Amino acid sequence: MTNQNPKSKIQNPNKVESLYIHIPFCKQKCNYCDFVSYAGKEALIDEYVTALINEIQSSPLSPPPEAEDSFPSPLEMERGGPSRARDGVRSVTTIYFGGGTPTLLEPKHFEKILGSSAQGSGSRREISIESNPGTADLSKLKALRSLGINRLSIGCQSFNDKHLKTLGRIHTAKQAIQFVKDARAAGFDNINLDLMFALPNQTLEEWKEDLATALSLGPEHISVYNLQIEEGTPFWELFKSEIRNSKSETNSKLKLPNEDMDADMYEYAIDTLKTAGYHHYEISNFAKPGFECQHNIAYWKNQNYLGIGAGAHSHVNGKRWANPNCIEEYIKNRSSDPIPVSEIVVRSLDENRHPNNDTGRACPERERGRPDRRETIFMGLRLLDGIPIETFKGFEKELNESITDGLLVIHNNNVKLTRRGLMLANVVFERFI
Amino acid sequence: MSIKSFRNFSIIAHIDHGKSTLADRILEFTKTIEKRAMQDQILDTMDIERERGITIKAQAIRINYKAKDGNEYILNLIDTPGHVDFSYEVSRSLAACEGAILIVDASQGIEAQTLANFHLAQKNKLKIIPVINKVDLPNSEPERIAEEVASVLKFDEDEIIFASAKEGIGIEDILEAIVKRVPPPQGSEEEPLQALIFDSFYDAYRGVIVYVRIINGKLSAGSNILFMGTATSFGVEEVGTLKIARIPKSELAAGEVGYITANIRDIRLARVGDTITELSRPCAKPLPGYSPAKPMVYCGFYPVNGEDYGNLKDAIDKLKLNDASLFFEPETSAALGFGFRCGFLGLLHLEIVQERLEREFNLDLIATAPSVIYKVILTNGQETFIDNPTKLPSPSLIGHLEEPYLKLTIFSPSEYVGRIMKLCEEKRGTYINTEYLDPERAMLTYEIPLAEVILEFHDTLKSATKGYASMDYEIIGYRESDLVKLDILLNEEAVDALSTIIHKEKSYYQGKKLVEKLRKVIPRHQFKIPVQASIGSRVIAREDIPAMRKDVLAKCYGGDITRKRKLLEKQKEGKKRMKRVGRVDIPQEAFLAVLGIND
Repeated sequence: MTNQNPKSKIQNPNKVESLYIHIPFCKQKCNYCDFVSYAGKEALIDEYVTALINEIQSSPLSPPPEAEDSFPSPLEMERGGPSRARDGVRSVTTIYFGGGTPTLLEPKHFEKILGSSAQGSGSRREISIESNPGTADLSKLKALRSLGINRLSIGCQSFNDKHLKTLGRIHTAKQAIQFVKDARAAGFDNINLDLMFALPNQTLEEWKEDLATALSLGPEHISVYNLQIEEGTPFWELFKSEIRNSKSETNSKLKLPNEDMDADMYEYAIDTLKTAGYHHYEISNFAKPGFECQHNIAYWKNQNYLGIGAGAHSHVNGKRWANPNCIEEYIKNRSSDPIPVSEIVVRSLDENRHPNNDTGRACPERERGRPDRRETIFMGLRLLDGIPIETFKGFEKELNESITDGLLVIHNNNVKLTRRGLMLANVVFERFI
Repeated sequence: MSIKSFRNFSIIAHIDHGKSTLADRILEFTKTIEKRAMQDQILDTMDIERERGITIKAQAIRINYKAKDGNEYILNLIDTPGHVDFSYEVSRSLAACEGAILIVDASQGIEAQTLANFHLAQKNKLKIIPVINKVDLPNSEPERIAEEVASVLKFDEDEIIFASAKEGIGIEDILEAIVKRVPPPQGSEEEPLQALIFDSFYDAYRGVIVYVRIINGKLSAGSNILFMGTATSFGVEEVGTLKIARIPKSELAAGEVGYITANIRDIRLARVGDTITELSRPCAKPLPGYSPAKPMVYCGFYPVNGEDYGNLKDAIDKLKLNDASLFFEPETSAALGFGFRCGFLGLLHLEIVQERLEREFNLDLIATAPSVIYKVILTNGQETFIDNPTKLPSPSLIGHLEEPYLKLTIFSPSEYVGRIMKLCEEKRGTYINTEYLDPERAMLTYEIPLAEVILEFHDTLKSATKGYASMDYEIIGYRESDLVKLDILLNEEAVDALSTIIHKEKSYYQGKKLVEKLRKVIPRHQFKIPVQASIGSRVIAREDIPAMRKDVLAKCYGGDITRKRKLLEKQKEGKKRMKRVGRVDIPQEAFLAVLGIND
C-alpha cells in the first residue's frame, strides 16, 4: 500500500489559512466531555451567531504580503482590524465547525456565517462540520451540503447501546447508522466517523464489532480515540480513585480497561483499518488516500489558525490566545461593532504557562513571531510521516536518545515515530518539551 | 516570698484525657492569662502539637494563687510531654516537682499511660492528686471510675476530685488540693547550687533558654555555672521566671522554677536531666536520673531531588537546634545518593520530624524504612551495633544477631483480649501475663521485639480493638533472634534503601508481599523490570513489571495545544519527582511500601 504523504494545501505559512469556529451548544453534556459546551442554552444561538459574525468581520484574515511580519496582535485585532479583511471567511483554505454540536444550528445560521462565497461543491476549500446523530435529518443535511460544507464528521463513538448509555450519548447505534446513511444521501462524499475505545467495561470483542460496523458504512475517514478521563467531568468523579491510585478499588461496577487492553484495542484498530485501505496518517486518524483532514493537519504542522467563538484557540505567527469560555460573556463582548476594547477578555496563553515548564530552553522562535519549535516537534510527530530533520536543530540529544530507544527513526530526511514510538508517543514528546 | 509558699506540680494523663484543657482552665481561673487572650491549649505551642492533640515540648508557667486560707501562693505548673517516646523527658519534668495531678477520663478510666505516668510520679516520690475529668459528659461514669482509681492505684476515694476542665467544674478544688496536699519544696538556699534542667529550647537571639528547677542554693545573673553531665561551663547572662513571657529577676533560689540564658549555642550542652552547679562552689554530686539522649529508631532521609541536599542539611540543623534528642549524620546510599541517617526517640518522634521537614521547610523527602539498632556478635566474639540494614557485616562474619526487646503493656476491654493476643503473637511477642482491673478491663503484658512495634503496631492495635486499647512500653534489653537481611533488586540491581532486617520465619512471606507491593507502585517503564527479594544470594520472590505498552494522548481538541502540552509537562514533572535508581524511576510510595507489607 502506498503511504502517501498528506500534503498540506496551505500555501503561505505566514498567512492565516485555517479558521476554526466553535459552536458550544449541546442537547446534553456527555459524561466524559470537558470541552467548552453547554446543554440547555439553545435560546442563545441567534445572538451567538451574530457575535461570531462580528468576530470574523473584525479579524484580519488576509493581510497583504508586505504586512506578513507584522501580523496584528490580538489586541489590534480586537480594535476591529483592517476593514479590507471584512470578508475574511472567503480567504481561508479550511474552515472547521467544531463543538459542542454544530448541527444544533439551523442552515440559515451557517449561511450567515459562510456568506454566499462558500457556494458550490467545486471549491477546493475544505469546510468541515462536526455533528451528532439525531441532531439533523436528511433535509437539514442536504441544506448544509448545499451551503458548501463538504466534510461531515459524525460523533458515533460506539455502536453499542450499552456503552453509548454509559457515555451519556443522546443517540442509539441504530440512529447513528441511519444518520451516516442520510449523510450519504444528502451528498456528503467526505465523511468521518469518530469512535472511542477503552470504554468502561468494554471488551475487545465489542471494540472489534464497533470497528466492523464503522467499516461497513464505508466512511472516507475514521478517528479513533481512547477514552480519557478528564478532571471536572462525571467520569472523573467516578474513576478518579482508579486513576490516581492503582491500589484502591472503586465501588463502581464500571471498570476502565487496563493498559494492556487499551493497547490491544489500539493495535487492533491500527491493523484492521490499514488492512481496510485506510492511511494511518496521524496517531488517532485514518483516511482513505486523499481524504486526510486538511484543517487538522494545520494544527499538527503548527501552522497559523484563527479560532472564532467561545473558548476557541488561535495560533498566529507564534502567538497563542483563547476566547473566554462563557457563552454569555462572549456574546456580550461581540454584540456591538466596533467592539469596545475595555470589554474584551483575551487570555494570553503564554501568561498561563506553568512556571516550572521552562526546561531551560528559551523560545527564540516565539519571540521572533515564529511558532515554538518544541510544539512544532511534538505536534508534528503526531503525523506518522514525521517532520523534517532540520526541525530538530538544538534537540540532537533528545533525538538520538529516542532513536537509540527505538522510538524514532529517520527516513528520507524525515523524523518519524516507529511503531513502538507510536504506542509510547508521550514518552517521546515529553523529551522535547 | 518564702519557700513555704511554693508549690511545684505537673499534670499527667493518658492522651486525650484532658491535660491541656485543665492547664488552660487553671491559667484562666487564676487570671494568669486573660480569657480573651487565651488560645486553646496554651501550653502546646507547636502547630503539630495542636493538630495531633499532644504535647511534644514541655513548658512551664508561674501562677499566683490566693488560697481560701487567705495566703498567697506561687504555683509552678510544669507541663510534660504526653507520649511514650518522651518518657525520659517526662520523668525529668516530674523530678522538678513535688506533686502531680493525675487526670483520669470519667468515661474511659485507667489507660496504659495513666498507669505508666502514675508509676513515674511514684518513682519520683510526688504527692499525687487524682482527678476524674469530663464528669459532665453524658456517657461518663464518675463513680465507677473513681472506684477503679481507688482500687487499682490505691487512693482513698475521698482524695479523688471530680472535675470538668471544659466546663470549669472542680478547678478551685484542684487548686486548693495543690496548696494543701502538695508539700512545699525542701531545699536550702545556703547549700551549694543544684539545679535540674527539665527543658530547653533554642532562641536565635539569646541562645539556648534553659528551664530549671532550683533544688538547692541560688542562681543569679553573672555567676559562672557548670553543667555536670556535659562538663561544660558558662557565664549566666540572665535568670528569671516564666509567665507567658520570660520575666527577668536578679536571682532564683531553692524551690523556684525559672529559666537561665548563658549564650549557649548548642542545645546538646543543656541536656534535660543534667545538673547545674556553681563553678566556684560545686555541689558534691549531681542529681540522680541523668541520661544522655538515646535514639531508639533510625531511618534515612533523602531529598527527592539531589540538589536539595544542602537545604535538607540546613533544615535538620535548624530542627536540631531545638531538639536535643534528634540525632543525625550524613549517609550515602547507592540508590538514593546523599542523605542523612537520623535517630529518634521513637516512631512518633520520627513522624514529627519528617512532617516538620516537609511542612516547614517545604522539602520532598524519601524516608527509608525505620530500623532499630541491632547488636551483632561477630564470629571473633566482638560486638558491634548497626542502625542501618546495609551496614550488616557479611553473613560469614556474623556469630549471631540480637535485637532490642520491650516490655509491652496493653490495656483493653476484655472482649478484645483474643485479638490482642493474636496480634502480639504475629508480632513475635512472648506472653507474660494478663491482669484484670475489673471483669471488663484487662492488662496484658508481653515481651516483644521493638522492631515489630515501630511498624504500624499501634495503628493495628487500635483498629483491632475499635480504638479502645492503649499501650505503653519500656526497653528491657537485647535478645538473640534469628534475623536475616532481606534485599530488594530492581532490574537486577540491589536497592540498598529497600533492604530490611527481619525475622527468618517471616522472610518468605514478607519478601513475597513486598515484591507484590512494589510491582503495584512502580510504574511501567519502557522495558520489563524484574522485582526480586533475596536473602544473601538466594532469590526468594520475584514479580515482573511488564514493559509499558501504551502511553499516548489521543484527543487534540480544537487547536488547544497548550493543554496538551501541559499534560505532557505534568507527566514529565511527575517523573522528576521519582528517584532514579539505575534505569528505574521509583516513586516515593515504594520506599513506604516496606512499612505497610502487612495490609
